[in-house]
Amino acid sequence: MGRSFDTIRFRAEACDACGQCVIACARAKTGTDDTSRARLQILGGGTEGAELALCRQCTDPQCAAVCPSASLAKDPDSGVVTWEAETCVDCLLCTVGCAYGGIASDPVAGHVAKCDLCDGAPECVAACDRGALEHVTASRLYNTQHEREDLFAPGLSACHGCNSELLIRHTMRHIGRETVVAAPPGCIPGMGVVGYNGQTGCKVPVFHPLLTNTAAMLAGLKTQYARAGRDVTMVALAGDGGTVDVGFQSLSGAAARNDPMLFICVDNEGYMNTGMQASGSTSYGSWTSTTPVGEHMQGKSGDAKSLPMLMMMHNGAYVATASTAFLEDYHEKLEKAYATAQHGFAYLHVYAPCPTGWRFPAALTTEVCRRQVETNFVTLWEYTRDGGLRFTRPVEGRRPIGDYVEMIGKYRHLDQTHLDVIQHQVDERVAFLRRFAAPAGG
Amino acid sequence: MTHVATNAPRVIVCDGNQAAAWGVALAKPDVVAVYPITPQSSLVEYVSQFIADGTLTATLMNVEGEHSVLSALQGAMLGGARTYTATSGPGLAFMFEPYMRTPGLRLPMVMSLVTRDGITPQCVWGGQQDAMTVRDVGWIQIYCETVQEVLDTTLMAFRIAEHRDVMLPVNVCHDGNYLSYGVSRLEIPDARQAEAFVGPTDVNWHTALDPARPMAVDPLTGGAGGPGPALFVRYRKSLCAGMEAALRVIKEVHADFADRFGRHHPALVEAYRLDDADRALVTIGSMTGAAKDAVDEARAAGTRVGLLKIKTVRPFPVAAVADALSGVEAIGVIDRAVSFGWNTGPMHQEVLAALARGGRVVPSLGFIGGLAGADITAEHVARAIFDVGRLRDGQAPAGPVWLNETD
Repeated sequence: MGRSFDTIRFRAEACDACGQCVIACARAKTGTDDTSRARLQILGGGTEGAELALCRQCTDPQCAAVCPSASLAKDPDSGVVTWEAETCVDCLLCTVGCAYGGIASDPVAGHVAKCDLCDGAPECVAACDRGALEHVTASRLYNTQHEREDLFAPGLSACHGCNSELLIRHTMRHIGRETVVAAPPGCIPGMGVVGYNGQTGCKVPVFHPLLTNTAAMLAGLKTQYARAGRDVTMVALAGDGGTVDVGFQSLSGAAARNDPMLFICVDNEGYMNTGMQASGSTSYGSWTSTTPVGEHMQGKSGDAKSLPMLMMMHNGAYVATASTAFLEDYHEKLEKAYATAQHGFAYLHVYAPCPTGWRFPAALTTEVCRRQVETNFVTLWEYTRDGGLRFTRPVEGRRPIGDYVEMIGKYRHLDQTHLDVIQHQVDERVAFLRRFAAPAGG
Repeated sequence: MTHVATNAPRVIVCDGNQAAAWGVALAKPDVVAVYPITPQSSLVEYVSQFIADGTLTATLMNVEGEHSVLSALQGAMLGGARTYTATSGPGLAFMFEPYMRTPGLRLPMVMSLVTRDGITPQCVWGGQQDAMTVRDVGWIQIYCETVQEVLDTTLMAFRIAEHRDVMLPVNVCHDGNYLSYGVSRLEIPDARQAEAFVGPTDVNWHTALDPARPMAVDPLTGGAGGPGPALFVRYRKSLCAGMEAALRVIKEVHADFADRFGRHHPALVEAYRLDDADRALVTIGSMTGAAKDAVDEARAAGTRVGLLKIKTVRPFPVAAVADALSGVEAIGVIDRAVSFGWNTGPMHQEVLAALARGGRVVPSLGFIGGLAGADITAEHVARAIFDVGRLRDGQAPAGPVWLNETD
């Protein structure tokens, strides 16, 4: 099976063509300030927007395909397209073969030269303070995940664009087989996780608790395994209804008792599985089938209940929020939550924008997730008893809430007055959370 | 290990709640979950103290409400635990959602119902409205008459529940106030004998949440197409079969209990002075003592009256009831609960249905008494016997008769 590799991501909208990346590359690779010898170049800039000439480390590199002396090849371990000086015949065909300007002649050296990702620590990225270059290492995560067993049946029937399936497959690949999975009624069993008519969708023990009693059933089960001296991890994959609304009492009890389990709330802001009714987690202004839009109603009139904050106030042993647009962040938290769940109560609140119920194109889910974070509509943080609250991806200069709202059909009826309310809620929520954050370095 | 034999005196004087707790200690559950509610509270206090003292080595879960009590125990049972809890009235109402699910999961749990009248009107006293309201959910229901019967039935309940032909949860019902707080002599069985009688824990051979034998517990079942309808019917029929088997198993367990411990309790029904009776009263639970006294007095005065106590309500002992009442010409049924849509008591309806199944229609009268802690005295019962006599003579009083209406 194939592997994934590191790459450098370029965000043109953040680039002002300052040139620091080019200088850093020239110094690192030639020991000079001669930017013409750098292995990346900024083209354009200003109103036209910048473009970056840089090797993409292609999976099927055309530079290598056209090379007559086999001097270019993709390294199977690092993924870097490498160049061999000893065999190169200096024909320069590769510079024509590459569509990205990723390989060019170094006039001083007399050879072609190209990016080698600086052995995993690219100097250009380190030099960019505009946020235009990012060293994307998510590939390491996927390679690790790839080696682990998928514990769900192939072909779960989630809606197009739903991130829940991605989330639960990642989660259970990480956690492994010595587990019991509770999936209370909702989208996750709806996609076939617990199965139908005697068949299961899961390779580990799985069950339907009631919508109301997930945490209590897991607490009892864990109690018996503790008596028997067996290490079995309790995992809940619950929706917001089974967490925020009717599931709350048993969840609160388990959190207060510090019952060992990993409770994951997959929050799509409502009862999306049963026709998009509102839940306590539905955000202000949202159209749902029970907070409709008409002459006398403009969607949900109240704000959402914040479960992660409530779990923090229960002094949960580990509490965190997560977004599937930032899977490395999620995996770091999952690792901690899993470790915590061996002896105490761990809670992960993961946001699941719903293309079907929220009315946005299925292809945009990850972008919606990202925008939630960029606007501070969602804040990514973790709480531990020792460390207090820590923002794991603090947002400098949040985007206005309109940039998020405009992506989502369920907000289509909102006017500026509504937007002002949501913006105020978002800013207030972040300010509230900041009061619980440990001071930097403190 | 439990140390009942060394800790406990053989004979003590105590109330029904403590007697139930001794039954639990002898049955040695692995996990006990508790939440207090009147008039059950002292029962779970006793069990908690037993665990604190080491008399019982169960794990005690103090959870935040009855709904979670039952849910936690379901989880524990799916992991292989023998479990126990107790509740009453509003607590039973609050746990109804998982309560309704327990029989379908075929989890052989034992739960005491310290019966309490239904609110509203707000009340905290005995009555059987709570237990009677849930009698069609699929739990076995056994109603005790005496403090001794509470202990002995609690112990027997574990063995009945876990019998492989049954695999159903059992409610051991004892009347709030009269049995929960009523004090009398109690013989406590020897702990080793009790352990041998109940047998090893055997609760999740059929369904489990265990990585060593992974399976889906309770996937979505039914619908209108595919294998769903037939599969759903199969589950329902197997539950009915478990109930039917329980009629036999309850009798067998009572007989074995009598052999081992020397105490004979009726298993399904108890017939009292019915052999030559031309009229009968039907009773349930702790009222039966006063009713037997009233029957004795009426007999002494020459009235040929007998009594049938119903002990097992679910499964309903249709044949035993019909058989016991086959010779009488009129019956009166005293209920401690109301069947609102029938304007009588639930046991009255069910006794008539049992007779009708054998083709018999017998003049009958429903009595309702002892609601919300009210007394059912021998005088009340004497009045009932008189009314049944009039019924037999063709003077049918209008029912139901509310025994405490003029107290």
